[in-house]
Amino acid sequence: MLIQVEQLVKDYQLNKNQKGFFHAIKNLLMPEYQKKRAVNGISFSISEGEMVGFIGPNGAGKSTTVKILSGVLKPTSGKVIVNGMDPFRNRKKYVSQIGVVFGQRTQLWWDLPAEDTFDLLKTIYKIPDATFKKNMDMFSEMLDLHEFLHQPVRQLSLGQRMRADIAAAMIHEPAILFFDEPTIGLDIVAKERIREFIRSMNQEKGITMLFTTHDMQDIEKTCERMIVIDRGDIVCDSKVDEIRQFSDSERKLTVKFGRQYDRIELPGAQMIKEAGNTKTFQFRTNEVKIPELIAELMSRYEVLDLTVQETDIESIIKQIYEGGAPAYESVS
Amino acid sequence: MRAYLKIAQKSFRNNLVFRAEYFAALLNTIVTILVNLAIWRAIYEEEGGLDNLQFSLIVTYVILALALFQIFTMDEYVIEKKIKSGLITSDLLKPLSFRLHLFSFHFGALLYRIVLLLIPTLLLYSLVYRVLPPFSIEMFLCFLLSVILGYFVMYSLNFIVWLSAFWFYKTFSLVTIKDTAVLVLSGAVIPLWFMPQQLVHFIKLTPFDTIFFIPISIYLGQIPMDQLLFSLLRQVIWITVLGLIGHVLWKLATRRLIVQGG
Repeated sequence: MLIQVEQLVKDYQLNKNQKGFFHAIKNLLMPEYQKKRAVNGISFSISEGEMVGFIGPNGAGKSTTVKILSGVLKPTSGKVIVNGMDPFRNRKKYVSQIGVVFGQRTQLWWDLPAEDTFDLLKTIYKIPDATFKKNMDMFSEMLDLHEFLHQPVRQLSLGQRMRADIAAAMIHEPAILFFDEPTIGLDIVAKERIREFIRSMNQEKGITMLFTTHDMQDIEKTCERMIVIDRGDIVCDSKVDEIRQFSDSERKLTVKFGRQYDRIELPGAQMIKEAGNTKTFQFRTNEVKIPELIAELMSRYEVLDLTVQETDIESIIKQIYEGGAPAYESVS
Repeated sequence: MRAYLKIAQKSFRNNLVFRAEYFAALLNTIVTILVNLAIWRAIYEEEGGLDNLQFSLIVTYVILALALFQIFTMDEYVIEKKIKSGLITSDLLKPLSFRLHLFSFHFGALLYRIVLLLIPTLLLYSLVYRVLPPFSIEMFLCFLLSVILGYFVMYSLNFIVWLSAFWFYKTFSLVTIKDTAVLVLSGAVIPLWFMPQQLVHFIKLTPFDTIFFIPISIYLGQIPMDQLLFSLLRQVIWITVLGLIGHVLWKLATRRLIVQGG
């Protein structure tokens, strides 16, 4: 296993802010602290060459986990071993084997042209001239870096800056790459481009990647496996394909009835929502065929209108966030 | 090692980006010295001692002290900004020592200040005023060594203040207090020989006079041979003491690092 995380816990100490003027002054003189648990004893492992998506709502603990994995933060407790090393203890040695991209901030020198940062990175990581040139050529071709390498970074667009940042994180050919929301704030074209680049890097170079995002599309288009994290706990860890298969077979049926029924029985479908005479059912196409279900429905009840909807992965994730998808557990 | 030199080089270049800032800084240095010289001139005129050696001594002192003060100025908020923006992560993600990285950054800025601020200022004032040459060649070499040591005292002291950002997040007041203490107690504006004896005794217990007063006194030949070694030793001792405090604080700081945002 390349990355091994066991019972990882991270607590932050937060200043307990209370409302009101006097409370604010009291807080200044006698601060009160409270502990907030960002990561609550999670365990997982990732093997070499895997591409794993880390998904979860804001404040779920994704970024904290990435920061611990990259050796920047010290975990409160638990064990983290990446590539045979403790990231925090062996920071200086460890970080030369990884690359990290933060979508929200840049490691490029803000006032200098981007090429200056690359020049500096070349010296920092002691990259041989030939390797450096080969990688720069490859990045220039795949990410069109040459268009803006000589411009000061502060004048770049977000998409350009992100491309340069990703190249900067990979110039030293790391074995593992961490992406913390690499597509945040980008337009669809820029997002697609970055996804494609990441995917090809994983496939061609076999770089192990961990990818945090809010954007389900990022995961669907790049990752094989996804870990859903919420409020510091892992709520789901499975293959993206499995979830996709599940979502492919799941349908929602919304029916408007002609009159009030006290009890509606429909074999193979469960009622999940009820609003007056409009009721929503959930069923799976591999358990019951749509024509049969509708025929059954029409023969038993008076129906005014009906629609059948597909469920996308996003809504399954939403269900997982909202207290564990009961239907989903049957799959894994 | 090469990596740190490269950082210094980039930091130097980074300073060259801002043209307006450069001319403002040069003007600031020149005007500050001019104002101070005008005050001393007024004082000596009153006593009719403008042709005195004493006045040349003070002119040399003021020009050197303020010029050094300008080049010892550092970006006090680098760490605070890095902590606030969370950018400290990209430094920690480099296979480098953070402290040497930080020092290289300031070293690049120092070179910039020496080449583009110190040298033009000294040239300008040596043309306009009668600036005394170094007391002797030996003293000049000692002066250069002492200036370097003085810079390290200043840097170690600053580093401690900057590190407080890990606990306080905002260091403005602490930096201001430190700046004022340095300005008054280090002899950057008023030579210590004009200060009351009791205050001087107190200052000798602090690191402040080792920053500017000792190097300049050596240049002017004001420190007797038998006390020269002791003065240099005091600088070394303060570098060690402040460096150790900085080291302990740094170890504590990394342990409690919280990366802000996202």
